[in-house]
Amino acid sequence: MLRTQLRRQPHKGSSGATEARMQHMVVFSVGGQRLVARTEEISGVMPWTGSTAVPSDTPFVRALVRQEKGCLPVFDLAAKFNRPLQDGEPLCLVVKHVDGPLAICIDSQVPSLHMVARSAVQYRAGSDPDIAGTCIAGEEELPIINLTTLGVSSNRPA
Amino acid sequence: MGLRGHKTVMASSGLAVRFLVALIGPTYVAFPSHWVRGIVTPAEGGQERLVTWANASYERTDLARRLKSQAEDVTVETRIVLYANEQRSRSFAVDKVVGLIDVERALIQPLPAQFRGGERERLLGLFVEASYIALIANPFWVLELPSRTNVLDVFAIRVSERRPGEFDSRLRLPSGALEEASAMSAGSAR
Repeated sequence: MLRTQLRRQPHKGSSGATEARMQHMVVFSVGGQRLVARTEEISGVMPWTGSTAVPSDTPFVRALVRQEKGCLPVFDLAAKFNRPLQDGEPLCLVVKHVDGPLAICIDSQVPSLHMVARSAVQYRAGSDPDIAGTCIAGEEELPIINLTTLGVSSNRPA
Repeated sequence: MGLRGHKTVMASSGLAVRFLVALIGPTYVAFPSHWVRGIVTPAEGGQERLVTWANASYERTDLARRLKSQAEDVTVETRIVLYANEQRSRSFAVDKVVGLIDVERALIQPLPAQFRGGERERLLGLFVEASYIALIANPFWVLELPSRTNVLDVFAIRVSERRPGEFDSRLRLPSGALEEASAMSAGSAR
């Protein structure tokens, strides 16, 4: 679906055409596992101030974090990848999930923005519906994580 | 005659729900207080299957296990909450009673949609306090009764009609139990 949307982008001269061939991606890490996500799926990054446990049956959604006057559900990406969070002060990645804003505790390393060629982005369906494919950012080939639908495919009743 | 530890969270006058907030393991759980019939110590509750208090019996239920939370061992702060409506009664242990709180209906948030499992049956929503986030237990689930829609509306009280210090007349708690609960919780609810 994303590919289709990209093809619809208008071409505006050579610089527009160059931009159309590039994609903005954000690289971050969870428990040392480096991941890449589309920038438009991310609302922001803030300090991690701790979470409140919620007795929950939903896989990897078992906590809430405060945000301004409300709170956000937390997706435990470290648990999904079976990796312990690294030492240091973790950060909170706020993502634009289809069901509303969602928080993810990530490593203290500040996420980095990368502009990558579309040819470096390979979308392919795998066994994990939360992984959209791979992307070469810098000199690393990293898994692309679907932040907007995180946990949806595996949990939502058919 | 006000309750020590009684607190109000209001954005404006309107409908509010009064909760008894308690700790179960690490989780602050809020129970609509209209169905709270009393709070007793484990010693007062005894060891029998039924807790009998003020000529009424309350079957024990392991709410921590049903919530899938990890309760602590019995401490001096452990209490047994007696909970009932006209149909059914239950008693359950909590690790600590925090206090009573009135929360304006508009400040009660639903459980975020990302929570998709059985917790949606157990928890009606949440509210955010200065020092904690409280999860609202579904009182019908607590009493093992079929749930219904708009549960919290059953418990809403119009706060603008109540004078300061005046309690909802539907709340028929043994005053001794309430005073004790409030005295215990005065520090944590403020």
